[in-house]
Amino acid sequence: MFASILAAGLAAGAIYALVGITYNTMYSTSRVMSFTAGQLGMLGGVFGSYFILKLGLPIIVGFLATLVCCAIIGFITEIVAVRPVLKSLDQHLYVLSTLALALMIQQVTAIEWGTEPRPFPKLVGWGEGVWDEKFWIPVVACALTIIGLEFLYRRTLVGRAFVAVAEDNFAAQALGLPERGLRVASYMLAAVVGGIAGFSGGELLLAFFANGALLNFYGFVPVALGGLGNNRGAVIGGLILGLFQQAANFLVGGIFASVAVFTLFIVVLLAAPQGLFGSAVARRV
Amino acid sequence: MSISRRDFVASVGAMGLASSLPRIALAQTENIKIGWLVAMTGPSSAPAAGFDRGVRFAANAINAAGGVGGRKIEIITRDTQGDPTKAVNATQELISQAKVHAIWGPTNSGESLAVTPIMAKAKMPNIHPCVVDTLIDTKKYPNAFRITPSNTQWDDAVRHYCLKIMKLKKIAVIGDTTGYGVSAVNASVAAFKKEGAEVTYQANIDSTQSDLTPDMLRAKNSGAEVIVVWSVSTGMYSRMFNTRAKMNWDVAFVGHPSVSSGEIAPLLDKPDNWAKVYAIGYKSCSYDAAGNLPPATQAFVSNLLKANVKLDDTLLWWVACGVDAIDLIAKAVGASGSTKPEGIVAYWNSIKGYPGYFGTYNYSLDQHNGYLTSEIVMSEARSAKNGTFALAPGY
Repeated sequence: MFASILAAGLAAGAIYALVGITYNTMYSTSRVMSFTAGQLGMLGGVFGSYFILKLGLPIIVGFLATLVCCAIIGFITEIVAVRPVLKSLDQHLYVLSTLALALMIQQVTAIEWGTEPRPFPKLVGWGEGVWDEKFWIPVVACALTIIGLEFLYRRTLVGRAFVAVAEDNFAAQALGLPERGLRVASYMLAAVVGGIAGFSGGELLLAFFANGALLNFYGFVPVALGGLGNNRGAVIGGLILGLFQQAANFLVGGIFASVAVFTLFIVVLLAAPQGLFGSAVARRV
Repeated sequence: MSISRRDFVASVGAMGLASSLPRIALAQTENIKIGWLVAMTGPSSAPAAGFDRGVRFAANAINAAGGVGGRKIEIITRDTQGDPTKAVNATQELISQAKVHAIWGPTNSGESLAVTPIMAKAKMPNIHPCVVDTLIDTKKYPNAFRITPSNTQWDDAVRHYCLKIMKLKKIAVIGDTTGYGVSAVNASVAAFKKEGAEVTYQANIDSTQSDLTPDMLRAKNSGAEVIVVWSVSTGMYSRMFNTRAKMNWDVAFVGHPSVSSGEIAPLLDKPDNWAKVYAIGYKSCSYDAAGNLPPATQAFVSNLLKANVKLDDTLLWWVACGVDAIDLIAKAVGASGSTKPEGIVAYWNSIKGYPGYFGTYNYSLDQHNGYLTSEIVMSEARSAKNGTFALAPGY
C-alpha cells in the first residue's frame, strides 16, 4: 500500500506541480492568474494522443508538435485574454477573460475531440507495477522542467530579463527591456510547461477533455500552498498534495478524499495566508 | 330585393359550412407531423445516430406502404445538443409553430426533465426513451409514455442477475460522484439490502480519479463476490477493469449499459481485462450461445440490412426503439382515426402486449412504464456484434 501511495501520489503531485509552475510563469510577468493553465495540461494529453496515435507521428515528433501547439495557445491567451485587461488589474477582469477562454478551449476540445477519454500511447515501455512508466515519467518530466527553468532564469540573458520583469516591470521597461515581448514569451513558455504536464501525465490521466477543470483546480492548490510566484514552493506543494490525496484515497476513499484535501488546503491558508514558502508582502503606507 | 331573417341565417350557415369543409378535408390529408427531439451533436449524442436510423426506416416503410389512411408521416427533427435549454426552445417551437401531432424524445433524461412539464401543459402526446423514474407520473404527465425500462427496472434486473442467477450474496456497489451515480448507488444498495443481500462495500468515485487501486482493494478486502456499477464514465470503467487485472482478482462486474461501450476497448491494457463484465441488455437484441438472435429480431435485422441501415457502429436496440416509437404513433393515429392528442393518448393507454421490435409494451391509464422487466437481461459486455450482444452466462 505504501509503495502504491508513493508511486501514484508522486506522479499526480508532479503533474499538479507542473500546472502550478504554469500558473506562476504566467503570473510572474503579468500579475494575472490565468485559468487556462489546467486546460493547457489537458491539451498536452489530447494533442499528444492526436499526433502519436491518430496521426501516427513518432513519439519525439508528436511531443514537439504538442509543445508547439500549446505555445500557440499560450500566445493566443496573452493576446486575447490578458493584454486587454492589464490596464485594470485591480478590477480583476482577468478572472472573467481567462476563465472564458478556458471554457472555450474545453468546449472546442469536447466538440472536436469528443467527450469520452481516449488512450494515450506508451512512451518508453519500461516498468511494471509501482515502477510503471505512467508513475515515473511525470516525476522525471517535472525534475527536468525545473532544471531547465533554473538554467533559463540563472544562466541566460532572456531568463534574467524574465526575472527582471517579474521583479519590477516598470524598472525593467526603464532599462529598455521589451516588457510586452517578454510577457508574450513567458505565456508561451508557461504553455509549454503546461503541455509537458499533460503529455507526461497522459498515460495516467488519459486524453480527456474534462482533465482541464481538474488540473485547473488541483494545479492551483500548490500555488496557494507554496506561495504565489514561487516555483519551488509550487513543486513542494504539488508533491505534498499528490501524496496526501493518494493517502486519503487509501484511508478514507472516494468523496471523502477530496474533502480531506480541501480541508488541508483551507487549514494551511488560514495558518499561512501567503503560502508555506511565500513571504509576507510589505505594503507602503 | 328583400332578404328575410330566415334567408340570412340560412345563407350565413351555408357560408360557414362551405368555409370549414376544406379545413376538414385538409386535416384528413395533412401529413402526420412527428416532432423528433434528439441530441444529434454534443456530449450525449452517441445514441442519436441509431435512434435516427430507426426513425427514418419506420417513416419510410409506413410512407412506402401508403401512409396511415393515406396520410404520410413527416419527421420534424430538432437537434437539442444535450442541452435542456435548447430542448425547451425546440419543444416550444415544435408545439406552437411546427404544430406537430406527437413528439418522440428527447433522448436524455436531463432534457426530458425540462420539457416533460411543457408537453404536459400543451397536452402533447409524447414517447421518450429516458430512464429517470420521475419522468413517468400519470397524474402530472398523462401524455408522457416511456418506451424503455426505467432506472428501477434496470436496478431490479441487475439485482435479479446477481442474486438469483449468479447466486451471490456479498455485493459491492460503486458509482461515480455525479447526481446520477450517487442516487443510483443509494437506490441499488437499499434494494439489495431489502432482498437480504450483504452490501460489503459502497462507494462513489470521482470519474477522473487516475488510480482506482484504493477503492478496488477496499472492495476486495470487504469480501465482495461481485461489483455492481452505476456510471456512464468509460474512463472510470477502463481503470477499474485494468486494476482488477493487476490485482489478479476475478470478480465479475455487473451494471450500467455503459460497461459495454466500444470506447472502453482502446483504454484497456489487455483485451482480456474486459472479461467477466456484464452489462444491462435486452432479450430482443441479444444472441444466444449459437450466435442466433430471436427469430423476430433476425427478420427485423434482415429488413434493416436490405434497406441499407448501418448497424456496425451503433446498438440495435437504439434502432429498434426508434422504429417502435414511430410505429406506436402511426398506430395510434390509425386506430383513433385522427391526430387529436386525446385519441392518440387513449390508444396508447389501451395497449396490451404490443409486439414491438425492441420489446413488448403494455400501458394503461395508471402505468406509462411500458417495457417488461422480464425482457431485460445481462449481456457479455465485450461481445458486441452488429449492435447486438451475447447473453451473459446463466440464461
